[in-house]
Amino acid sequence: MAVKAFSDEWAKQFEDEVNRSSVYKAAAKGWKWTVGLVVEAEPDKNFPEARGVVMDLFDGTARSIKVGSAAGAQACNFVISAPYSRWKQVATKELDATKGILQGKLKLKGDLPTIVRYTKASQEMTECTTRVPVEWPDEN
Amino acid sequence: MLGGLIDANIANNPAQRKDFDELKARVGVWVTDIDEGVTLEFQGGSLLVSTGLKPKRDITIRTDAETVMNLSNLRIGMFGMPVYYDEVGRGVAAKLLQGKLRIEGLLGNIATLNTVTRIFSVR
Repeated sequence: MAVKAFSDEWAKQFEDEVNRSSVYKAAAKGWKWTVGLVVEAEPDKNFPEARGVVMDLFDGTARSIKVGSAAGAQACNFVISAPYSRWKQVATKELDATKGILQGKLKLKGDLPTIVRYTKASQEMTECTTRVPVEWPDEN
Repeated sequence: MLGGLIDANIANNPAQRKDFDELKARVGVWVTDIDEGVTLEFQGGSLLVSTGLKPKRDITIRTDAETVMNLSNLRIGMFGMPVYYDEVGRGVAAKLLQGKLRIEGLLGNIATLNTVTRIFSVR
């Protein structure tokens, strides 16, 4: 059943997908930093307020993924920011996250060599988001 | 992003800093699946990054975004040579053989390519 985008239910399903992924488990071995996703507001897309997704990831597992404020996400070790519609493109496989980062469509803050070392893990993390059925606020 | 990656690498690693300080070359990177690229002009201790491909490049790397990331994940082995026999290295070599990674200007610039690869490497 589809869940509302960037809701608590979405975060729980996303966390479950990450923890089910053997690819992620292997690729993210040694990862020990928090990752924040900042989903910037787009009122014209029925997404009026920015939200943050705080991911506590450790050694190939997601210890927790929670939705909260953008400020909370910005306090993480690595922060990826983009407007709502860009994140939707990522989650619906319209935009590859690696390409998005290279093009500056997704803004990345944090130690670049570390995140590049875990490219495969971040690609699989993106795959996990695409496996969560979502109800998008601009499609209601 | 590539400029930022190089900045971080040379700040953290004296060997990469040494390579960076010694390298004088103009390197183009064209990302084929987004149809965008940059020119990295290594000026012996400084780097000028320009969008698009500038003329008079010593080397031009043309490949997809994923392979650009994989090039940064190549391990550096003995004598400062990139390792092509582990999983990442085999993937890069396969792309080269399939024509999905093209390196123009390779002839005569192998040492430059190896130096650039070392500077890019996050391993």
